[in-house]
Amino acid sequence: MKKILLPFLIYLAFISESSLVQAFLPHENSMDWQLIPRFSMVMILFVAIYLNTTYGLLYGLAFGLLTDLLYTDIIGVYLFSMAATAYITSVFSRYLFGNLIVTLLLSIVGVSILEFFVYGLNSLIGISNQMIDVFLYKRLLPTLILNGLFAILIYYPFVKQLNQIKDTLKEN
Amino acid sequence: MPHFFSNKRLIILLVSIIILVALIGFSMKKRESLTLPEQFLKDSAGLTQTIFYKPANTIAGFFENLAEMKQLYKENQMLKARLDEYAKLYVQYEEVKKTNETLKAQLDKEEDLTDFKVREATVIGRSPDQWNQFIYINKGEKDGIKPKMAVISPQGFIGKVTNVSLFQSTVQLISDNDRTNRFSAIVQGEKNIFGTIEGYDAKKQALLFKKIPVDAKIKKGQKVITSGLGDVFPPNLLIGEVVDIEPDEVGLTQTAYLKPSADLYDIDHVMVLEREMPAVDESLREKEEE
Repeated sequence: MKKILLPFLIYLAFISESSLVQAFLPHENSMDWQLIPRFSMVMILFVAIYLNTTYGLLYGLAFGLLTDLLYTDIIGVYLFSMAATAYITSVFSRYLFGNLIVTLLLSIVGVSILEFFVYGLNSLIGISNQMIDVFLYKRLLPTLILNGLFAILIYYPFVKQLNQIKDTLKEN
Repeated sequence: MPHFFSNKRLIILLVSIIILVALIGFSMKKRESLTLPEQFLKDSAGLTQTIFYKPANTIAGFFENLAEMKQLYKENQMLKARLDEYAKLYVQYEEVKKTNETLKAQLDKEEDLTDFKVREATVIGRSPDQWNQFIYINKGEKDGIKPKMAVISPQGFIGKVTNVSLFQSTVQLISDNDRTNRFSAIVQGEKNIFGTIEGYDAKKQALLFKKIPVDAKIKKGQKVITSGLGDVFPPNLLIGEVVDIEPDEVGLTQTAYLKPSADLYDIDHVMVLEREMPAVDESLREKEEE
């Protein structure tokens, strides 16, 4: 039961992204902001910071592949970006002490790394034709605020859960 | 402090970049059908999405209602004014319909190119990153949905079915910037002016309607509809309205900007259209290929 809890939680976050965007997406003419929920990525970043690098990398690969297959037309973009983001963030986290502020900072850095990777790759393929200034103000900034709020919201319960899992890993 | 790029890590990075390029290359060519594991994944994700979308929709609907309450009075006034217009139009419509029927009977024509079968579906999700404009609907292969069928909302044309699994299918909206997402359309007017819809301009929030002849005269506010020439979509589906026209970079053609008639961001229920009469006889096409 405990083994499937973590993947199950991340999967829930992953599915809720699509429902949230479908139900709550701001209408075309209101604020013109693009709020992109990256909840599964934020949770994977927590795993990479609080469990270990290997777990983060594996979850990044698995959910990256899922994102590619389910939400996009092209396989590889998220597979690479999510795994690389999880790895880079966990390398950063080795030099920092884990508390709320640092974790929030790291998840914001992680989400922006992911956004830049995906933006770059999609521009290369020709899927996105957004200008860099529009990308920064209309997309990246609101997205970071949304995901930062999500990180604060899940910090206490999720880190507690992760610490429990870490203890059981140590015992075995 | 360990080296960020030791030899081993550098090799792993290079190999993964090669794999990335190979995967993207593989998946960029258009595939007609999904592989079995992909179908299974999509179906199981579709199931969880179905559970999720209902409560999410209810909550979102509540907030939407609150916002709408403010404009209710104004809207009511406008609708009352429209009602008289409607009665007039309805009489006209009945008349035209009757004439059309008698004329068709005279011609012994039963099937028409404009006939199509309609299937209703509910939207259960949307691609969360807005680079890809896909929505997911709760009808799939078992309901008779096939790739390339046209999808409309009550306000107008919104896209086409790209891939289908057993219980759900993916719809590519007309605003998706994929280079294969192109189709022919015409400007309604005294003379039909042809062009192709090629993607979406996010800054202007308008569809790009390209390859219009340079001497064609288009006015703002003219309606654009599907042409039905690609033998995929039915003709006469409303796409949008011209808001701006500008000459192409080289000056050989014109580009028009269209405001889509359907709200591409707020879609709950859609209809999938199937053309009843194939545009070209299949046996004829086979002969041609020989």
